[in-house]
Amino acid sequence: MSLNPAREEILGKVRMALMRRIDAPVPPIPASARVAPRVAGDVNSEIEMLLSEIGKLSGNTRRVAHKQDLKAALQDLVKTEGIKKATVWKTPDLQELGVADVLRSLRVDMVSPHADKYRLAECDLGVTGVDAALPETGTLILRSSPERPRMVSLLPRVHLAIMRLSALRADLHQVFADVKDDGYSIFITGPSRTSDIELTLTIGVHGPKSLHVWVMD
Amino acid sequence: MSEAPTRIDFRSNVQHVQPQMPAAVQKATMKFLGTRASVVGILGDDHWQALRQAGHDLRLHAINHLDYYLAQLEEQVTKAGGHVHWARDAEEAKRIVLDIAQSHNVKRAVKVKSMATEEIGLNHALIDAGIQTLETDLGEFIVQLAGVGPSHIIVPAVHLTKEGIADLFREKLGIDAPTDPVQLAAIARAKLRQEFLAADMGLSGANFIVAETGTLAIVTNEGNGRMCTTLPPLHVAVVGIDKVVPDWESLNVLLKLLPRSATGQKLSAYTSFITGTRRTNDENGPTEFHLVLLDNGRTRILQDEVTRETLLCIRCGVCLNVCPVYNNVGGHAYGWAYSGPIGAILSPQLLGVEAAGDLPFASSLCGACAEYCPVKIPIPEILIRLRRRVVEGDRVEDPSASPVLRVAAEVGGRTLGLPWLYEFGSQLLKWVQAPWRSGGWLPNLPPPLDRWTMTRPLPAFGADFREWWRNRTPEGRRRNLERKIGLGVLAGGLIALAAWLLTSGKAQRLTRKRSR
Amino acid sequence: MTVKVQLFVTCLGENFFSNVLKDMVTVLERLGAQCELPEGQTCCGQPFYNSGFQSQTIEPARNWLRVFGRTEGYIVAPSGSCADFARRRYPELFPPGTREHALAVDTATRTFEFSEFLTRVLKVTDVGARFPHRVTYHASCHILRELGLRDEPKQLLQHVEGLELIPLPEEEICCGFGGIFSVVYPEVSHDMMQAKVRNIESIGAQVVVVGEPGCLMNIAGGLAKVGSPVRAMHLIQVLAAGGAR
Repeated sequence: MSLNPAREEILGKVRMALMRRIDAPVPPIPASARVAPRVAGDVNSEIEMLLSEIGKLSGNTRRVAHKQDLKAALQDLVKTEGIKKATVWKTPDLQELGVADVLRSLRVDMVSPHADKYRLAECDLGVTGVDAALPETGTLILRSSPERPRMVSLLPRVHLAIMRLSALRADLHQVFADVKDDGYSIFITGPSRTSDIELTLTIGVHGPKSLHVWVMD
Repeated sequence: MSEAPTRIDFRSNVQHVQPQMPAAVQKATMKFLGTRASVVGILGDDHWQALRQAGHDLRLHAINHLDYYLAQLEEQVTKAGGHVHWARDAEEAKRIVLDIAQSHNVKRAVKVKSMATEEIGLNHALIDAGIQTLETDLGEFIVQLAGVGPSHIIVPAVHLTKEGIADLFREKLGIDAPTDPVQLAAIARAKLRQEFLAADMGLSGANFIVAETGTLAIVTNEGNGRMCTTLPPLHVAVVGIDKVVPDWESLNVLLKLLPRSATGQKLSAYTSFITGTRRTNDENGPTEFHLVLLDNGRTRILQDEVTRETLLCIRCGVCLNVCPVYNNVGGHAYGWAYSGPIGAILSPQLLGVEAAGDLPFASSLCGACAEYCPVKIPIPEILIRLRRRVVEGDRVEDPSASPVLRVAAEVGGRTLGLPWLYEFGSQLLKWVQAPWRSGGWLPNLPPPLDRWTMTRPLPAFGADFREWWRNRTPEGRRRNLERKIGLGVLAGGLIALAAWLLTSGKAQRLTRKRSR
Repeated sequence: MTVKVQLFVTCLGENFFSNVLKDMVTVLERLGAQCELPEGQTCCGQPFYNSGFQSQTIEPARNWLRVFGRTEGYIVAPSGSCADFARRRYPELFPPGTREHALAVDTATRTFEFSEFLTRVLKVTDVGARFPHRVTYHASCHILRELGLRDEPKQLLQHVEGLELIPLPEEEICCGFGGIFSVVYPEVSHDMMQAKVRNIESIGAQVVVVGEPGCLMNIAGGLAKVGSPVRAMHLIQVLAAGGAR
């Protein structure tokens, strides 16, 4: 392996400044650098906290008691958000819920979640699951995999995230244990926003303009 | 924007601050401090202080073992299918990015906001080589159109009005833009959407790089960060070597500190965790990933144990928000990419004291920055260290201040080491001030003391406490008398000497010599 | 046993605020302390150190240690920045093992700012003062942040008979003095001072109380410049007012 002169120079300067020899050992991270993770409350208060936080960020939330109620909820959404074209993750959970079928029955044009970016950018609605959720901050964690294309939660104007109670986590600490070896994950806390122009808050800049989070009981 | 300046003249910059700048900046800073207060309040002061200490300790641990963590980072990124490059300085970094772009025939690049790329002036280098390079954070997009640098780390265009921005859009984009922030944002959204979809290359920095797995953590709100790092087939990240953290657990602390301190959010709208390229072709994401690790003076900062803590910075911007100097002058006065208290300590260390020696003095040492810094950087301590570097020099750099100042300080210092001279001086000032005195004040003094009186009067000199104290006891009264006689003799002697010089013509001869 | 206090008058105190020093003696004696004025004190050297002239701080520091090192009892200053400077920096300026270092370590244990001395050493908040006026308080940066005295000075004011304490908007924002900062960047210093003066004038206070001579110089000057009827006073002057109850 040939040596990279820039690399050797930089690392050499670092070592000299720190007075460390090559391969000098590193002590463990000090205990004072760690903070105990948050402990979760009971499921109901956690869900309430999650939905409340999302609501504060201008996200829309809903609890869906049964799979049967899903159709009415989707009908509502299609109407209020004017959905003509949609794309849905092909995960076992969403397939089991039959989301794509319901949308199709509502005369929404269905686009494959594996379509190219231009096609996906034309969609009004992107439907995903939720791999983990953090009540304290109102955060949804979406992992990336062949059946979880990233663009589905990014390009369409509306993002609908359907989650199960089992996705609840107490703290970032638990979430990191799940996702640290992934190639990619996105932590979503409310719809996209900016206050770059005269500090006026605008919801929906480059990411989806509106975020809907539904909790399946 | 933001090419490395050769000399930052802070006073001159201050004198040229746009009149609307302070008010605009204060609107932003007050707002962010307000939202910060509520999200920090929710955690409670004990918890917050524990987080700050943890943030400090883990960042310091990473910096103190930087060689180890950088090597681990490189290994992990490479394992994840990424390419790691090392850039010693700005020129090398730009060359590396340009090479990557040109070898991939890149014509259009989209960029997420990144202080490191501002620092090296990356945009100019790419644009000059014919590669369209668009800033995509709304604020950065706007200042790029306007051709100026950012005035605040978090809200770069805060000094511009909506009317000004509408004019800008009209002029540069040819769009008839209304003066409404929501609609202006919609215009930017539509315009940039096309760019995101068509871009060949996405450029970013990173808020943190995790050595444990080779992961970039990118904290944004608008969604452009996701766009730039998901849509184009090629992703290039330029990140300072100081951004490395040991492991994911560190992010547990840092992600609680950064968004709350920066914008008063519990978490930003989008926090992305990116490790190398996409794992399979069935996934979204770039097929090629390059990480450019940037030194550009950071290794020199490591040399001094105290100033080394400058590298703990997580770029939250809270020190700007709370700094009374920054609030009065805005970001441009600091002359480079970094402003406020962090700019005052980072710029002189990256650029050298020759170029940025004014900045460590651009502070009243009030300490508010240190009080708020989420990773407890001892900013006032570092400012004083850098002031010493400017006037005396140290192990890292030679001084840049005029040696005349050192001579003056030497005279002053020695005077203060001689109590009789100091006392004599105090009494002398009471007599000598007479022509300038007005009641209890000295409203207009000659240079160099006019640097004080140009803005407010100086109180009149009135050292009489020692005399008052001594007069309380008979022994003291005696000493007072002795002192008065002593001072009288000294004063008399000086007057006699002056008189002799004048009358004997020696002074005339001296002045004649000089004028020839 | 009588408490012995060595008066650390400070260069600004001596040259510009003689009355404050006299009042300091009044209050301390009223509280039963025995005051002494060590001869030969000049300046602690802080202006040099903070301006980067660390080498030129040595002579003033050495002199201070020579003067105060041979004293007994507490060393009290009408200034937080001076007291903090002697405490914190002197042990750093002289290598361990030297005589100066030993003196520095010793004096550091007994050097205090005035309000710190009253509230944390003598554990006193009522000094028997009377000052029936509307008063506001500016929190000097050093006293607030370096010494951590946020409530104590106000506690002392709250126990002054007849005194009405009005909160100052942006109380904790720097007044713009900052030592050499005020003359290196006078424009910025001026803007900060003006903001402080505007805040003071906005609340109908008759007096603004300051614990730090540097801030006092700056704020008093700023108020005089605009012809304000508001009087700037040192905390000690208010505490000395009214005589024994």
